[in-house]
Amino acid sequence: MSGLPQFARGAGRWLRQVAALVGKEWRQLLRDTALVGFVVFIFTLDILIAAGAPELDLRSAPIGLIDRDGSVASRELAGRLRAPYFDVRAVADDEAQVARALERGQLRAVLTVPHGFERALVRGETAQVQLVVEAADSNLGYLVASYTERILALLASDLAPAGAASDTLPEVRLQARFRFNPALTEAWYATISELLTMLTVASILLPAAAMVREKERGTIEQLLVSPLSPLQIVLAKVVAMAGVVLVGSTVAVGLVMHGLLGVPFAGSPLLFFSLVALYAMTASGLGVVAATFARSSGQVGLIVLLLVMPIIMLSGTWNLRESMPDWLQAAIYLSPLRYMVDIAYGVLLKGADLATVAKPAALMVMLGLAFLVVGTARFRRQFR
Amino acid sequence: MPGTGAGVAAVRPAAVSTINAPVVALDGIGKRYGRMLAVDDVSLKVDRGRLYGLIGADGAGKSSLMKMVAGVLAHDCGTVEVFGVRIDSERAAERVKARLGFMPQGLGLNLYPELSVEENIDFFARLRQVSAAELAPRKQQLLEMTRLAAFRTRAAKNLSGGMKQKLGLVCTLIHAPELIVLDEPTTGVDPVSRRDFWAILAQLIDGQRLTALVSTAYLDEASRFDRLALMHVGRVLAEGEPAELVAAAGLRVAQVQAEPAALARLAAHFAQTEQTVGAGRVVVTADDDESAVAAVRAALGSDEHPVPKIVITPPDLEDLFVARLQALDGTATIRPAPDADGRFERNRDQRPERADVEASVGTRNATPVPAPDHNGGTHAIDAQSLTRDFGGFRAVDRASFIVRYGEIFGLLGANGAGKTTAIKMLTGILPPSAGIGRVAGADMRQAGQAIKERIGYMSQAFSLYTDLTVMENLLLFAGIYGLTREQARSRAQWAVALGDLHGHEREPAGRLPMGLRQRLALGCALLHQPRVLFLDEPTSGVDPIGRRRFWDTLRRLAREQGVAILLTTHYMAEADLCDRIALMFAGRVVADATPTQLKAELTAERGQLLEVSAEPPLAALAALRAGGFAEAVLHGRRLHVLAHNAAEAGTRIGAALAAAGLAAARIAPQTLTMEDVFIHRVLALEAAAQAQAAA
Repeated sequence: MSGLPQFARGAGRWLRQVAALVGKEWRQLLRDTALVGFVVFIFTLDILIAAGAPELDLRSAPIGLIDRDGSVASRELAGRLRAPYFDVRAVADDEAQVARALERGQLRAVLTVPHGFERALVRGETAQVQLVVEAADSNLGYLVASYTERILALLASDLAPAGAASDTLPEVRLQARFRFNPALTEAWYATISELLTMLTVASILLPAAAMVREKERGTIEQLLVSPLSPLQIVLAKVVAMAGVVLVGSTVAVGLVMHGLLGVPFAGSPLLFFSLVALYAMTASGLGVVAATFARSSGQVGLIVLLLVMPIIMLSGTWNLRESMPDWLQAAIYLSPLRYMVDIAYGVLLKGADLATVAKPAALMVMLGLAFLVVGTARFRRQFR
Repeated sequence: MPGTGAGVAAVRPAAVSTINAPVVALDGIGKRYGRMLAVDDVSLKVDRGRLYGLIGADGAGKSSLMKMVAGVLAHDCGTVEVFGVRIDSERAAERVKARLGFMPQGLGLNLYPELSVEENIDFFARLRQVSAAELAPRKQQLLEMTRLAAFRTRAAKNLSGGMKQKLGLVCTLIHAPELIVLDEPTTGVDPVSRRDFWAILAQLIDGQRLTALVSTAYLDEASRFDRLALMHVGRVLAEGEPAELVAAAGLRVAQVQAEPAALARLAAHFAQTEQTVGAGRVVVTADDDESAVAAVRAALGSDEHPVPKIVITPPDLEDLFVARLQALDGTATIRPAPDADGRFERNRDQRPERADVEASVGTRNATPVPAPDHNGGTHAIDAQSLTRDFGGFRAVDRASFIVRYGEIFGLLGANGAGKTTAIKMLTGILPPSAGIGRVAGADMRQAGQAIKERIGYMSQAFSLYTDLTVMENLLLFAGIYGLTREQARSRAQWAVALGDLHGHEREPAGRLPMGLRQRLALGCALLHQPRVLFLDEPTSGVDPIGRRRFWDTLRRLAREQGVAILLTTHYMAEADLCDRIALMFAGRVVADATPTQLKAELTAERGQLLEVSAEPPLAALAALRAGGFAEAVLHGRRLHVLAHNAAEAGTRIGAALAAAGLAAARIAPQTLTMEDVFIHRVLALEAAAQAQAAA
């Protein structure tokens, strides 16, 4: 029965070795001022910036108005194109000038109100207005158009002669109830997305950079001749950097998002941060794999960049997964962030419990294990 | 050797140089990096047409000084004048940059690795705006001189270390500068390539009135300079012409043949002693030979039987430098390292007790006693036809050798001979393509972790964490070897004592001088008390005192604890200290014997070594080669010739020199060094390989 204590001694030693490496990683990171600055920035200021600059709302979009009607109705329209959505500017009725203003980005759109606008509205006829939108940024262009349309519709119904249209057409009034974010606060969504993005960047980049630095400085050789298994070396990097990311996200979520910005924390903190740690380890595994392909810091930086963009694009962090083309749908399952997006929104905003997020969590861990296996296998092979 | 034709056998322009203003004049310059004073009040002058040497260990301030001369680093105080222009602004520096060439430290660091030899040269020519008409003949001449013409299309990254340095030199010279500043061009380069490099440089200076400011960490290269400055922690310790310095030093070297016990007494009396079996070499402070003999006899004691044989010779520059450094440094005597249990001399500042020294010397001189390993074998390392291919290139070709426990085994060879690859295979970093490498009885291909615990390894580059402190590095590696906290602490303390790193425990490893770094690396490699130790160029860039102490520790490990040590080195003086040597050439082991055997073989084959002093050396070399000594080589400012019959050779040398119109030379028989062996062997092998390739 001496097998068990012997095994325990062996395991203790195995863990001591990993612990020594993890401690070393932390010391090195703490002494690297640039890296510390990067980590502090992405988990504090960067989140604040994301909260303060929501891209998906229209704010003070400069819109030009050419009023050829000069009526009460057209002036009312100008009044309604108001802050905070629009910043109305009068422009000369000159096609060339308008085109130039749009070209230079001085104006996002130009609305032309023709003669007879008011008359048509009062008579209950169809009134025509022209909206020229600068749609180089298609998302913004779409927002300008739809906001203008809503304002025009309201104006039309307010100015329409009593009983003109509502008598004949049945009216549907939508009463939307927004769950999980009743006020549709943009900052909630933006900060969570930003946190997930930065979590991904840090989790991949930190271990990859640390691994490549060992190669560049030749310290890796000393590790290779010592009685360490590749798994220990790889695991130490993953655990150390996941730890850093975990501390960073605790600050980001607890202090910056929940404390400063009032983003709700509906679910269990234990569950959330456990899953963040798992995610960080999964992404770190990918970082280790990336590092086995690179010989220098420059190379690993490019490889990480190459990995991070698709991971974010495919995850649905900033866009709708369902709207992606069919040929990309399958690739979505390879993005570890895809699972973390469901988990993060679920736990933070919807208060999801373990049972609810068990499936994405399980899939994420499987992906992480796969990265670890590939990373460990490639780690040894790269020196042959 | 490159074509030292009659064209360069002109008279040295020594007379011209004195009437001209110095090319470089430094007056009281200083440079500080934060709290560290890198260069402290240095004044010196470099005359036109001279080869001026800056000598010193890593961190002596040579690089900073050279950068200030080259105008790439600003000085804090004092004045720098180059070509009579005071360098006090960026603009002033730009004015002289066209007339000078600078080659920074590091093998091929100024080259673009992906570009070919020719593309590199062309790039530097374009950068320096050399016209096409000037470029073509100059490139041709330089390529031929450096024997790189055959490798025009080879990418710089695929050149050997020595070739990279030669290409670096070509690129530095492509705009025909009047002054070249070369920062440690020979560090990390093998002795053959090093000698080649110096020969090319001597030829250039002779033929083109070039002035060169060159630094080196190899003290044995000091005699090659016309004038030199010995630097130590930012200051100049000695400055002058080599012969002048030696004459003024008041030192004598005594070669003593006596019993080990008597030699041990010498070690206690003289700071600089070196011992081999039955003989000792002592540096004595004495103004004449008689007082030197008297001093040695006094130290030996009068009751010595038989009467020891003492031969007095003049010191070489290295002896002088070591004496100067020892006088500065408190570590005048080489302290014994602590033993395996961490016990250490109680009064570390006192000289070791006589009995201790006797014991230590006694074991040092004894032949290694093989200690069996756990499996009962005596072979610590057993390489059997080890082979490694990289693509189409065979780095190691069926290398076989055996290292026993308690033996210090040297692996020698030129850059690219396959030494490092062989070590990497034996440490399990690289798997062999064919053959077997056994270490402590186990095949390293399937090396489990158990076997790795018996191996210690110090790689060529400093492979510890520079951003961690000394103690943190030690504790990290203790942790990696699975030691418990208490074990780790005590072993770390042991390593601090071993490397004499007291007071540096909390310093980042990256800030240590080279010698301390290497001792720390050795300590890290020994934390787990390995049975087999691999050291890849462990003393590169380390000052001579540091090197001697390092070797003292190695000897103790081998003799007292039966550790098997396999090392590589470019210092041929260190090769002499090995118990056994394997010489590698083009991936093969071409010789495997003791240093004494190797020297005896060369003497039997080629005769004894004669050192010829004749001026000017380059012209004398050409004359000797023309006179039938085809294998004469330049050794510093002297020539080395091998001949069976010294008297007959002397006559022929005299005749050859007279035929070239040169004055009669002084010819002195010399004992062969490992450097002579190495160079003759490698040159012969190179010639054979070329003949084979031609056939």
